[in-house]
Amino acid sequence: MNVAQFLTIFISAVFIYNVILSRFLGLCSFIAISKETRPAIAMSLAVIFVTTMSSIITWLIYRFLLIPFNLEYLRTISFILVIATFVQLVEMIIRKIAPPFYRFFGIYLPLITVNCAVLGVAVLNADMFFVKGEAIPGSFYYSVFQGVCVGLGYMLAMLLMSGIRERLDFCEVPKAVKEFPLAFVIAAIMSMAFMGFNGFRF
Amino acid sequence: MKKLFHEFLKGIIKENPTFVLALGLCPTLAVSISLMNGLGMGVAATFVLICSNIIIAMIKNTIPEKIRIPCYIVVIATFVTITELIMKAYSPALNRALGIYVPLIVVNCIVLGRAEAYASKNSVMNSLFDGIGMGVGFTLALLLISGIREFLGAGKLFGYTLIKGFEPAFVLAMPPGALLVIGLLLGFFNILKERK
Amino acid sequence: MENKLTVSVSPHLHKNESVSKIMWLVGLSLLPSGIAGVLIFGTSALRVILLGIVSALFTEGILQILTKRKITIFDGSAFLTGLLLAYNLPAHVPFWIPIVGSGFAIAIGKQVFGGLGQNIFNPALVGRAFLMASWPRYIATFTTPLSYDAMTSATQDAVTSATPLALLKEGKILEHVSYLDLFLGRRGGCIGEVCIIALLIGAAFLLLRGYISWHIPGTYVLTVAVFTYIFAGENGLFTGDGIFHILSGGLILGAFFMATDYVSSPLTQKGQILFGIGCGLLTAIIRIWGGYPEGVSYAILMMNAATPIIDRFTKRRIYGK
Repeated sequence: MNVAQFLTIFISAVFIYNVILSRFLGLCSFIAISKETRPAIAMSLAVIFVTTMSSIITWLIYRFLLIPFNLEYLRTISFILVIATFVQLVEMIIRKIAPPFYRFFGIYLPLITVNCAVLGVAVLNADMFFVKGEAIPGSFYYSVFQGVCVGLGYMLAMLLMSGIRERLDFCEVPKAVKEFPLAFVIAAIMSMAFMGFNGFRF
Repeated sequence: MKKLFHEFLKGIIKENPTFVLALGLCPTLAVSISLMNGLGMGVAATFVLICSNIIIAMIKNTIPEKIRIPCYIVVIATFVTITELIMKAYSPALNRALGIYVPLIVVNCIVLGRAEAYASKNSVMNSLFDGIGMGVGFTLALLLISGIREFLGAGKLFGYTLIKGFEPAFVLAMPPGALLVIGLLLGFFNILKERK
Repeated sequence: MENKLTVSVSPHLHKNESVSKIMWLVGLSLLPSGIAGVLIFGTSALRVILLGIVSALFTEGILQILTKRKITIFDGSAFLTGLLLAYNLPAHVPFWIPIVGSGFAIAIGKQVFGGLGQNIFNPALVGRAFLMASWPRYIATFTTPLSYDAMTSATQDAVTSATPLALLKEGKILEHVSYLDLFLGRRGGCIGEVCIIALLIGAAFLLLRGYISWHIPGTYVLTVAVFTYIFAGENGLFTGDGIFHILSGGLILGAFFMATDYVSSPLTQKGQILFGIGCGLLTAIIRIWGGYPEGVSYAILMMNAATPIIDRFTKRRIYGK
């Protein structure tokens, strides 16, 4: 466990294997909510929070519940249930204790339950930081850090895209590619630009 | 019978999950590198879709309204786990190629979307055909995208080289290529729609 | 949205000059480095340049006919895109590389967004990124300058060599490349990027006439120099060769001619300085730790993507608000 490892996780999760532009997780929300900057930022913050928390929870479940009882095949079903329950719980708590905060950020929480990015990062952590049913040294810290970074990668793509799409409102875009098709083309170009980080080694 | 056939047909063109409803794009883009992968993902998702549609149509009256979504997710996740285990046992190569996108069928919006929007309101028979139609529509869309990407990105179709001397644009086999192809296809369908 | 009526897309020009005239003048300022490129690499460089330009004009025309827009192939902007794309290619690429690249640059980099003044990304760089990702073996093998052929005439048909940056990445020592060589362009590389002095002549012309300001190129080059001086050294911090990094690769071409594109760079001076620093950091990071030897085009593309956000946060305050 050292700084270089964390830096590599950061660069690959944020740029090279950007959750949206390269892994295509959370694409639906990316296309749907990136029309304006403010909601895009709120959604991204919600995603960062949930990916981080779900990394922690699913790691604990995988390490202390599924592996000891040889239940790895229940990974998918248990992860999604825990994540869904957790998100539901957080939504209820926020709505109760901080209504203004809820209006800014909480309304995006239910959407996140079925956001592939959240389940994706849990599955990725289980694939990357466990070898043959054993947690590798530093596994927990890597998992949590990867959760944060995946969220940050989501935020970066979201922020750039929302800025671009706000500007496109003032452009005479050809009718055939308006909205979705152009959003995909822009994402493709951004994805090509991020390929510049391929082969990053610190 | 005619009604059932209609349920089947609508998923292919009029309500194509990928191009018209824009659902389930994550796996579509991620696995559409080759026709074989596209077919594998299409069949797996179709299987889950049909089974979960049937089960949910059967139990729709017994589950309480408030917790219906978690219930749907449990049903879907069960079939996804079955698919995952079958694939691991009989086609490990495909399982490796599809990677994390097999478990991610759980959060594929098509499956949950059909459960919520269709199977929870319709009969078992109708839901079955809806599932088949949506599954086939999804698979066809996957085949179209992966065909374009495999041909232009690797110069092959189903792994066979077609034209000698053609230098494939490697980028189409990579993530940017997927985004580009789907963007241009959606634009192309928009043009077709306008013509009509 | 309340100010929608007063907002128009850039370039916002208050001078008595047309966009078209500026485009052609930028093209003119690129002439010296083009001539230098042809002198250094031979007529194959000229072929790449011509094919790039013709393909850009052709694609622009065809798409404007198909979409029933006004045909503007002679406003100089498509010409400039084709020219810049060709400048970013090695001289010995197959004939279809500049054709496909320019076509992609115009179609996906520009016309999809609605044409001149609306593109988010620099079209030439979009074309280059596409070629780089698609056919890396053509784009990343570089032509040896003719003068080298004369020196090592035993290998007449071995026309490719690595660029100084690529050699550096492989850990080879660069004894035979002096600063003077780099300055005059006696090295492997892309057609338009090698001859620094020719590029600087063109850049000086643009700066003196006020078509570009110092903010982007100045901060860009300085950031790369400082960052590589600190981190790129073999013997620990503060031993890197900043001057080498300025003179090699496509930094000068990118900083003065591509990062300064009116449409895809920020409007305010503060934004431009941020943009330049961002480009510099990304370029240096890719050069030092990335898999590719050169990062200029990727860095500018990434900052192009960030331009609307930069503009949003560096907007001048509206008076009285």
